[in-house]
Amino acid sequence: MLSYIDPGAGSLILQALAGGVAGAMVAGKLYWSRIKRALRLGRSEPDADEPRS
Amino acid sequence: MVEASRTQTSLVLEPGSFRDWDGRVFLGGDRVYRALSDLGLADWDALAASDLFEQFTASGELVATEPAGEDVLDDIRRLDPGGGWAGALSHERLPFVSYPYEWTFSMLQDAALLQLRLVSAALAEGLMVKDATPYNVQWRGSQPVFVDVGSFERAREGEPWVGYRQFCMLFLYPLLLEAYRGVAFQPWLRGSVDGISPTDFRALFTRRDAFRRGMLRHVFLHASLERRYADRGSDVRGDLEKAGFDRKIVAASVESAAALVRRLRPRPGASTWSEYDQTCSYLDAETAAKEELVRRVVGQRHRRLTWDLGCNEGRFSRIAAEGSDLVIAVDSDRAVVDRLYVALRNEASTSILPLVVDLADPSPAIGWDNAERSTLTARGLPELSLCLALVHHLSVSRNVPLREVVRWLRDLGGEVVVELPDRSDPMVQRLLLGKRADAHPDYSRETFEQELRSRFEVVESLELASGTRTLYHAVPR
Repeated sequence: MLSYIDPGAGSLILQALAGGVAGAMVAGKLYWSRIKRALRLGRSEPDADEPRS
Repeated sequence: MVEASRTQTSLVLEPGSFRDWDGRVFLGGDRVYRALSDLGLADWDALAASDLFEQFTASGELVATEPAGEDVLDDIRRLDPGGGWAGALSHERLPFVSYPYEWTFSMLQDAALLQLRLVSAALAEGLMVKDATPYNVQWRGSQPVFVDVGSFERAREGEPWVGYRQFCMLFLYPLLLEAYRGVAFQPWLRGSVDGISPTDFRALFTRRDAFRRGMLRHVFLHASLERRYADRGSDVRGDLEKAGFDRKIVAASVESAAALVRRLRPRPGASTWSEYDQTCSYLDAETAAKEELVRRVVGQRHRRLTWDLGCNEGRFSRIAAEGSDLVIAVDSDRAVVDRLYVALRNEASTSILPLVVDLADPSPAIGWDNAERSTLTARGLPELSLCLALVHHLSVSRNVPLREVVRWLRDLGGEVVVELPDRSDPMVQRLLLGKRADAHPDYSRETFEQELRSRFEVVESLELASGTRTLYHAVPR
């Protein structure tokens, strides 16, 4: 569910990056899943992980 | 809980309450009503059952709230038939609305700490605060009161602190601007209703500033992540949830933000009037005579609202508070107003609200349709205005013609106690230095009295011992 204000994607990422040990683990998982996605998609659609409007 | 009684007067829509579609605010008599959607009503039920609600209401830090009667909801539905409102709440109405660009550093700091304490308390009970804006805080004198009960919602697992960016833009960056740069935040907040963006704020600093407390994380990293993820939508939130984000991380962020805010101190630089009370030219006898006249006028009858214009350290505001429900103490010098606020806060005063306002350039109407935040005078006019040691600043320093000053005082609608130092007064002489010899031809006691008598009935006038200053108690004609 979304809120009525725009939380800012960068502002959300920052909370994981700066969120101590627990936050660092979340950030690690977040980036790992992005890397995995990038590698998997890299074989067929190189740009699909960067949606453009 | 007691049901609210029927509204005495018809309701009007509060034009600044449109942003969250799960609630809408209506004003009626001495109450404020909040219409709620189905979702808003369920969130309210969760809040009303919490310890947080009980504790913060008891301490006065959360606005007193109860369910409104069915008749109120009927009125709201008649007024706003398309709203789809499922319920309504009734709040106490605080006597005067003010905005963060009229607050001092310590006021914004205390409001920020209240906001953060509410987020912490909410998290501990499975609730969350959906935004983080100082416009949700008002004042009971020197006590901050969180007024937006509609900000509380049931927390969702895995959700980060959605209000963090808003907290930075409207609370943290303005405080850092003053604490680290010595720059007044008030014009910045007045200039942009949404505050200062991370990217703009980052641009004010050099890399060396990254070593100052809080800067690397909240400013440098924040701005660079904002740039990097500018075109990413809400997928980030889902990704965070999948990666195991939980509310302990939010709680830790809120704690660390509170620790940062608590350590910040204002750095207003040398202000003209900060040392006024020590260096001013008054004789003690003269001050005593002024106090006596003000006390006499204040004692004539009890008033609801009094303004002390150019309040300085609040000497006369305090006298006015003896005979008034609320005194708005206004001065353009943020350092003296901050000192007044801290003193009042330490006394737990609820009868004086100190505000930073330059009367030659007072708060305009801002936000959507110029109606979201209103002008100072649109928020309630005084029954009595004290205007001591102010006219020469408006007229000589700011070039406002005496006629205009008197017209403005008359437009306020109430009685005035006004002081006029004439041209021979040492302070006026100081202000005239550097101006042409024939500057301000209208600035004289004769012109002032003529203007004053054309718009007011002068009940009493008193020439002070120095012979250069006269006090007038005047009632509108």
